[in-house]
Amino acid sequence: MNSRRIFLKAGFLSTAIFVMNGCELFSVTTSQDTIRVLQNDLFPQAKKLGVETSRYIEIILRHARVSEEDKKFIKNGVKWLNEESVLMYKTTYVKLLVSDREEVLNAISKKKWGRSFMKEMTSYLFEAMLGDPIYGGNNNEAGWKWLKFTGGNPRPKEAYL
Amino acid sequence: MYDVCIIGSGAGGSPIAYELANAGFKVVVLEKGENYAEKDFSKDELGVSRRDMFTPPLNEQKHVINEYAKDGTFTTYDGEKSGWNFWNGSMVGGSSNLMSGYFHRMKPNDFRLKSAYGDIKGANVVDWPISYEKLEPYYAKVEKVVGVSGRVIKHKRQEPRSSPDFPYPELETNGVVKWFDKACFELGFESLPTPRAVLSGDALGRAGCYYSNFCGSYGCSSGAKGSARAALLQKCDAKIITDAFVYKLVSDKSKVTHAHYYTKHGFSHSIEAKIFVLAAQAIESSRLLLNSKNRHFPNGLANSSGELGKNLIFSAGGSGSGRFIFENLTMRQQKELMQTGLFFNRSLQDWYEYEEDGETRKGGTIDFLFEHQNIISRVKREMYDESGGLIWGQALVDKVHKTITTSRVLTFEVFNDWLPTDNCNVGVDENVKDKYGVPVGVINLNGHSHDLKVGESLAKKAVEVLKKMGAVEIDYSISSSPPPNLVAGGCRFGDDPKTSVLDKNCKAHDLKNLYVSDASFMPTGGSVPYTWTIYANSFRVAEAIARELN
Repeated sequence: MNSRRIFLKAGFLSTAIFVMNGCELFSVTTSQDTIRVLQNDLFPQAKKLGVETSRYIEIILRHARVSEEDKKFIKNGVKWLNEESVLMYKTTYVKLLVSDREEVLNAISKKKWGRSFMKEMTSYLFEAMLGDPIYGGNNNEAGWKWLKFTGGNPRPKEAYL
Repeated sequence: MYDVCIIGSGAGGSPIAYELANAGFKVVVLEKGENYAEKDFSKDELGVSRRDMFTPPLNEQKHVINEYAKDGTFTTYDGEKSGWNFWNGSMVGGSSNLMSGYFHRMKPNDFRLKSAYGDIKGANVVDWPISYEKLEPYYAKVEKVVGVSGRVIKHKRQEPRSSPDFPYPELETNGVVKWFDKACFELGFESLPTPRAVLSGDALGRAGCYYSNFCGSYGCSSGAKGSARAALLQKCDAKIITDAFVYKLVSDKSKVTHAHYYTKHGFSHSIEAKIFVLAAQAIESSRLLLNSKNRHFPNGLANSSGELGKNLIFSAGGSGSGRFIFENLTMRQQKELMQTGLFFNRSLQDWYEYEEDGETRKGGTIDFLFEHQNIISRVKREMYDESGGLIWGQALVDKVHKTITTSRVLTFEVFNDWLPTDNCNVGVDENVKDKYGVPVGVINLNGHSHDLKVGESLAKKAVEVLKKMGAVEIDYSISSSPPPNLVAGGCRFGDDPKTSVLDKNCKAHDLKNLYVSDASFMPTGGSVPYTWTIYANSFRVAEAIARELN
């Protein structure tokens, strides 16, 4: 682990993460790519329903009622997931084969941080997929329809951010 | 100068505002939160339930919590770091906006717990200085003015009533209620329709319930729910000042003279009144009095007894659930099960008093209700396999879909007495300040082992019903974990100024013009949710204040 460093630049979701091994560049990825692939691995139905869940993380990272600790954990979790991928397969999470990603998830699910991170990312995915459509995730109530769920009325006139 | 200044606009303060303003007195209500009307409420799970939009952010306002273990040691939790949240609803009308409105009266023996059941070692049980008969007319008044719907049936635990039935008919119920009634009948239990502070039809200038399917935790968009705001504050012309956090009451040796409050921008204002009524909810009321210490009251305002903040109580008990799955049901039953919107509204009080181990014990109430419909919360519970391992991918997709679309959970809540003890109380921490720079409240938590015994006994009865109904995955949890929305005590009332903070009319023994009318006055809490009793007592206190003003 000491031989590698990951540099996270400002603009968390869209800016490149450079995965290094000493002076050697392993790979370049973005947090958004990592989160998109991870969330699809955690709960593939969202993508099938056309729900874009990774953009919802931007809302969470800006949300006044989400603690700084929770926000930091998301950022660190993305970093640590890629570190684990590099450690196990020498490349970033998004470039792994499906079966290798599954092995990475199996590995981190046995670690305290990894289990928490997977739970958190799945929870945010559920929020995006099953929250009111006004938040931008649950488009055309696709998530609700899939579960035969009817949202309560009245619906919010604006998102609470 | 105002006749009356009320601090807090919830169920403890609003009946006084309603009664006195409508009697022509000049009344001002100071409320820390914002004002919302019916049009402002929505069923936004993310905002209301996931992001806590109606309570203060814990990084701005928190508590310090000391949780006591059996051996007397305790563990300290910082409210912000731990996320342990004791706020319930900072808004006009307080947490009554967000209640489910399960309304039960306390019973005659709840007012004389010590006389009826005797001392319990390690518990500071005392009788109330008033009887059920004294409070009964005010329970009846709440039924009519706030609006309680229901149906009185004759049963062995029915408390005396001055009217034969509720003034508003009971709410519509789900088809599964028939299964429940049948199971109870076969078990020899008495199934009771749960009274609700929800109007079943248009009345009192408010619209009736529209069965939104999202009642508890959410503000009511029709006004059917009997919140202090909808039922009382909107029906009187008391002046309400929002964004007003009262941080200090100023007094001389016999009277409170001013209430000082901060706005959210830190500006300080002051109110003068003839009479001050404190109703900021139990923990915060004690905190304010402790923070208002002065040279006349060096240990906290109205605290010559040393009892201020002591004997904080919650509702003891816990909750449980059972799942009904399609595989075990006929098509018709499946349809009944998935009928949404209608209420379950059933309770058991057979064991409000019961015999066990050769002694008569005070028991409690069991309310049954469907699992909350919040879809994100329900789906999140499916992230684990039977052994508690995390699942993901297609396995999680399949589990979520099957569980949500082909089953439904019936839950129960047990309410029994949280016995008052020495280690359960409110203090302040001079070294930890909130965003206003005011010392935060310290909540010392201790549950008596007797509470757990009673809770267990009641939960087992609820499990019998669920089994009889054919539920699977039946589970329950009885613990000393305090429900933050069911809190009382800290300024117990009594006849002796040496052992109580308030007199029997909830006026401070030490001060001529200070009343405390939230649940702080309660020395014991009964085995029911508190809101109806808080409302009723506040109407009673309003009469005492009116007499004094006249």
